[in-house]
Amino acid sequence: MRMPKNRGPVRPQAEETLDAARLELGNDFQEAECLLISEVRVLLEAQYDAKKEDKNLKEVYTKTLEYVQKFSRYTNRDTIKEVRALLKPTELEAFECAQLGNLCCSEWEEAKSLVPSIGSKISDDDLDSLLKQMDSLKKYQG
Amino acid sequence: MREFVTKRLYQDVEGTCTGRYGYIVAVVAIMDIKMGKIIPGLGSAEFEVQYSAILFKPFRNEVMDAVVNTVNKIGFFASAGPLNIFVSHSLIPADMEFDPHTNPPSFHSEDIKIEKGTLVRVKISGTRIDATEIYAIGTIKEDYLGVIE
Repeated sequence: MRMPKNRGPVRPQAEETLDAARLELGNDFQEAECLLISEVRVLLEAQYDAKKEDKNLKEVYTKTLEYVQKFSRYTNRDTIKEVRALLKPTELEAFECAQLGNLCCSEWEEAKSLVPSIGSKISDDDLDSLLKQMDSLKKYQG
Repeated sequence: MREFVTKRLYQDVEGTCTGRYGYIVAVVAIMDIKMGKIIPGLGSAEFEVQYSAILFKPFRNEVMDAVVNTVNKIGFFASAGPLNIFVSHSLIPADMEFDPHTNPPSFHSEDIKIEKGTLVRVKISGTRIDATEIYAIGTIKEDYLGVIE
């Protein structure tokens, strides 16, 4: 999930040129923040009561809420903070960090195959170590 | 007035979908509401609002998890939140075959089955966007894709 920063009128690129494998996300999304599925879950759940009371439960919202509840990896905010702290010092872009947090790969080969734009931005060993740490956080979260 | 404009923003913008921004799932914060301008001839007022929101836009070659909804002989449909993804039988591993006799119908190989409710990891191979909706096609024919335990 992404949040574009407001940068004034920009001409949108042709859709065909966009490619996640080469991290070409277009002008609107290239510099955007990418949320983890678990982060989206926190945000959407916080809005649920107000939306229900206003009778403003749109299908896009409820389908997304159901999805993030099903696929959320981290159960509490502290764990999410720790995952973010692990990802921050790497040279990886926002999209790549979010993908790693969401897909929870077990070793570097899987991660570099599913998120090919990572390439040589991080060494295989460092990535393996990062993935193992993220996995521990997930295993031992409250 | 601010409260009214805020409510209208939520109502008008949340749940919409465009080619440029994908699905606008939820408004998160309102940063600024500029002073309203009266539109001559209409009698209504226009407010420019600066806000941040959670968007969902699928990209070609992006990998995501999804839930299978329907299975038929040409492939299966899965959904990732509001997005529907079609995976054609030609992009399903060759050792998986469609079986109309299982209940519900499924694709299966010797040890793996895909049916309604199955969780799958899909790579988006293409998207088509019309005025208000995004159609995605996906593949599970590559390494590390397919049924999630």
